[in-house]
Amino acid sequence: MKNVLYILIGMTFASCEYEVTPKLAELANLMVVDAWLNNKVERQVINITRSQPYFDNSKPVKIPDLEVSLIDLTDGTVFYFEEGPDHYYWEPTDEGLGQIGHSYRLLVESAEETFEAIASLNRTPDIDSIIYEYNTPNFLLNEVHYTVQFYATDPKGPGDCYWIKAWKNGQFLGQPGELNMAYDASVSPGQPIDGQVFTYPIRFGFINPYTDDETREQTSPYRIGDSLYVEVHSIDRAGYDFLYNLYFQINRPGGFGELFSSPLSNVSTNIQSTDPNSTTAVAGFFNISAVRGQGLKLSQEVADQAKEKH
Amino acid sequence: MGSGAQIGKCVQFISWKGWLDPGSESITQPLTLNMKLNRLRAITGLLCLMGIIHAQAQEKFTLSGYLKDASNGEALIGATVLVNELGTGTVSNVYGFYSITLPKENYTLTIRYIGFEDEQMEVDLIDNRRLDVELRFEEQKLQEVVVSGKAEDENVSSVQMSTAELGIKSIQKMPAFVGEVDIIKSIQLLPGVTSVGEGASGFNVRGGSVGQNLVLLDEAPVYQSSHMMGFFSVFNPDAVKDVKLYKGGIPSRYGGRLSSILDIRMKEGNNKEYDVSGGVGTVFSRLAVEGPIKKDKASFIIAARRSYADVIAKLFTDALSDGSQLYFYDLTAKTNYNINANNRIYASAYLGRDVFGFDANQGFDWGNRTASFRWNRLYSDKLFSNLSLFYSNYDYGFKFGNEQDLFSFGSEISTFNVKPEFSWFLNARNEITFGGEGILYLFEPGSMLNKTDGESTNTSLESRRALEASVYAGNDQRLGSNLTVQYGIRLSYFNYLGGTAYHYNDTIPGRTKPLKSETKYKDWASIADFLNVEPRLAVNYQFSRSTAIKASYNRMNQYIHLISNTTGSTPIDIWQASTNNLKPQRADQVALGYFKNLANNQYELSAETYYKWMHNQVDYIDGADVFVNKYLESQLLSGEGRAYGLELYAKKNEGRLSGWVSYTLAWTEMRVDGINFGSDKINRTGKWYPTRYDQRHNLKLAAFFDLNDRITFSTNFTYLSGTPGTFPTDRITVGGYVVPYINNNERNNFRIPDYHRLDLGMTINNVWRGKKGRSGEDSIVISVYNAYARQNPFSIYFSQQRERQQSGLPLETSATQLSMIGTVIPALAYNFKF
Repeated sequence: MKNVLYILIGMTFASCEYEVTPKLAELANLMVVDAWLNNKVERQVINITRSQPYFDNSKPVKIPDLEVSLIDLTDGTVFYFEEGPDHYYWEPTDEGLGQIGHSYRLLVESAEETFEAIASLNRTPDIDSIIYEYNTPNFLLNEVHYTVQFYATDPKGPGDCYWIKAWKNGQFLGQPGELNMAYDASVSPGQPIDGQVFTYPIRFGFINPYTDDETREQTSPYRIGDSLYVEVHSIDRAGYDFLYNLYFQINRPGGFGELFSSPLSNVSTNIQSTDPNSTTAVAGFFNISAVRGQGLKLSQEVADQAKEKH
Repeated sequence: MGSGAQIGKCVQFISWKGWLDPGSESITQPLTLNMKLNRLRAITGLLCLMGIIHAQAQEKFTLSGYLKDASNGEALIGATVLVNELGTGTVSNVYGFYSITLPKENYTLTIRYIGFEDEQMEVDLIDNRRLDVELRFEEQKLQEVVVSGKAEDENVSSVQMSTAELGIKSIQKMPAFVGEVDIIKSIQLLPGVTSVGEGASGFNVRGGSVGQNLVLLDEAPVYQSSHMMGFFSVFNPDAVKDVKLYKGGIPSRYGGRLSSILDIRMKEGNNKEYDVSGGVGTVFSRLAVEGPIKKDKASFIIAARRSYADVIAKLFTDALSDGSQLYFYDLTAKTNYNINANNRIYASAYLGRDVFGFDANQGFDWGNRTASFRWNRLYSDKLFSNLSLFYSNYDYGFKFGNEQDLFSFGSEISTFNVKPEFSWFLNARNEITFGGEGILYLFEPGSMLNKTDGESTNTSLESRRALEASVYAGNDQRLGSNLTVQYGIRLSYFNYLGGTAYHYNDTIPGRTKPLKSETKYKDWASIADFLNVEPRLAVNYQFSRSTAIKASYNRMNQYIHLISNTTGSTPIDIWQASTNNLKPQRADQVALGYFKNLANNQYELSAETYYKWMHNQVDYIDGADVFVNKYLESQLLSGEGRAYGLELYAKKNEGRLSGWVSYTLAWTEMRVDGINFGSDKINRTGKWYPTRYDQRHNLKLAAFFDLNDRITFSTNFTYLSGTPGTFPTDRITVGGYVVPYINNNERNNFRIPDYHRLDLGMTINNVWRGKKGRSGEDSIVISVYNAYARQNPFSIYFSQQRERQQSGLPLETSATQLSMIGTVIPALAYNFKF
């Protein structure tokens, strides 16, 4: 919700900012396991890297020579991940990884220590529709423009969590402010809405880029010829909590919006050593998702319909 | 009689009275008898200590009345009535009332108030006398009134320590941000008061958080003291008479917050003649009208301010033509009626609002509303009472969407208070205050409406209720000529009422507590209640007329908590009651100070040290959802705090050059399990860390120079140590995002650069009015804020690149230093009064 405030307030005030490079404290240099897997029939990738100094803008380097496997705790199937040049991966043959309702254990073994994480593969709803809207000039943009919403209905029963990913013209909408997650049909468990269409902020708020990537100026989120593809990834509660925390850590809108930002803190992790007395610092997250997706192009015909509806 | 002798006599009296006068009690009930005897001894001892019982009776009479400003009938708060023959006296209360009981005698009185001419009068006290006095403004001192000194030697003579007072006249002379006189900004020039930076709402007192200040406007609590995110405070200086901040040694009549009480009193309105005053500034324009409804009997004041950036913008651009709004306003009104010599009533109201509307359906707004009704009654010339009834409300709301698809939420707190207070001017040595307060709180923690294709879902959080009640008694007692003590006790009680109670299981500190069960209570059934005793003590030992040592202790409890996990306090912070899961906050503070006046009270010096222990301080788990969250309590953490420091203050009261220097050396730390736990991954035991508002050095300088009758220069300088911030050590890449990582889970491990700023101001009086026979007065105020254009940091934040990521390429990370105001801000304002 806060991102909306940022927009409002950012428009009203001008502040001044410049880049600084303060000398930081000693590096943790810890192992990071980045394992967001899904049941799509495509290569599943796990990045296991070392953390870098904060101002090091290079690509993180893989930690080599690890044994990485995934165990289906419900039926005992084991999936072995192979080591590639940049990451560890599993290549499907004809069906994707995992089954809805099952739990999974990720194992990462080095010569010294074994790390594990557990996640469950939950259900996910179909996307009912993607609907473009025609807008006359308004406060967000002082010209005629098109926006979009996607509609999907959270299944009945509390506790479903989702990570909604979107691509505009094939480009992943992956800016910190576009991190979109849902708890049932609502943005957070503290505002429970179950078994309904996703609320307006989820449907609209994170998939309409009002700022042009190159010029940094306000622009129509969608123009005729643009397309949107949306995926709903089921995640488990721990995964939701991780992303929720992550959102506030990476969303630094700058300017006046900084008044509303939370203090920096470490995001949670579900990766832990199998040795309960281990003091090895480790970060990262493992989750496994069922995915449903849908896309729609803003063709002239779709645009005309939207205008008519307006 | 010296205090020692008096106490000695009392002890004798107690022993005699206690042992030889068992009354009619039967000796077959030794236990009851003993208890009664003990009680009797306690009561007689107390009365004796207060000097009620004397060995020899002497005929005494009471002199009482109201002290007022002769020009407009405004009550003078804290003016002194000095009995020359005895070298003692009394001070008028917040309603201008004083009372003193003296032996039958012929006396000469001197009535004093800074900036006013002393009034000398002979009184032959042969019976109880009512003496209302009006003081005249001292013309030649018009230009050089600085910090409201009240009694000229109050710094030394008053038992009160750890207070800061500003008269509206000195506030009006300070160079202000965009030329707008501001009460909250002005008190930040005093020792022990800070803010985390421009743009943050509220203020911090002696290591307390913003939510630990009780801000009272004519006794009604004001829950949000800022307009426009902290750039301006909500109080219209045209309607304010007096501002007093209690940082420590808080008297028993105040309670409910840990750190400070900011007591703002509104003007009553001129009851002699009509006055219109106002100003045209860079951001606001102001207008106030005051005058008699019935001369000397009833008067009123209405004061309003409105920002007009939007009005100007509409003239020149079409930026606001789509129905958008951007403004803030406040309206203050007060009236009073003197029913008769013993009864006076007041009614006052405040309404203020900030509106950021972007079109008819979208926007953000917040505001306070208060209303107070007060009745001053003199039961006798020794017993003054005030009954206040008041209402206060703060709400904010936010809407986003269009008519078909709308998402809106808001939050609100309302309180209804009743507050009877009594001052009993027992004798020349004792002024007893007692009373109570009852508060009904109504909380709307989050009302949320979600509309999809015209169909609404209301997912508002349950409204909550709570009751707070307190009773108090205190005494200001003079023990001999050198020693004054103020002691009191306050009993406070809080009851969290009705609705759903949530019960949580314990977990590792810093994680969301898992829900165990929910219990439904009837509307007014008690879910959790708390009773606390708050002792208060202040002592003044005066070595001479110009030197004193003061010490104080106070315990405070706070039952409602301002929930904010943002970098600075903001208007969207919400108030949360203490519940079965959230204990009331508690603080104990001791302070010791040395006070010295020089050159016939022309210079005031003081040094104070304080130490404050704070318990049940509220913090949040990492990633807490404090916005609209039914299970908020599962994400709150409780910790302890400590704050200590030294405050030095030197002030020059009179002369062409006047002003003050204040310096504070302070530490403010917190310890919370689950935060800053280092490598202790298993127990997550917290280690002490500096709070966001921990500022080691705090130097403030304010100076005023009268060039001549018409022109005054003013300047202030602020230096603050950089506030702490949490800086990462590493970056980790997860889920396609670059996330900062802090080695050892440290909190506030770095400091942003220091803050310093110089402001300059010039006031030119009688520009047009006051000349060539024109009536009234006016002035032009020219001010320059941040004169050497320093880019003072508000924070340093760490973020990944703003540009959209190209697949396969690593993301860039950087640190950005943010200044809310990075330039010189000149301003011009024209003020008038006629």
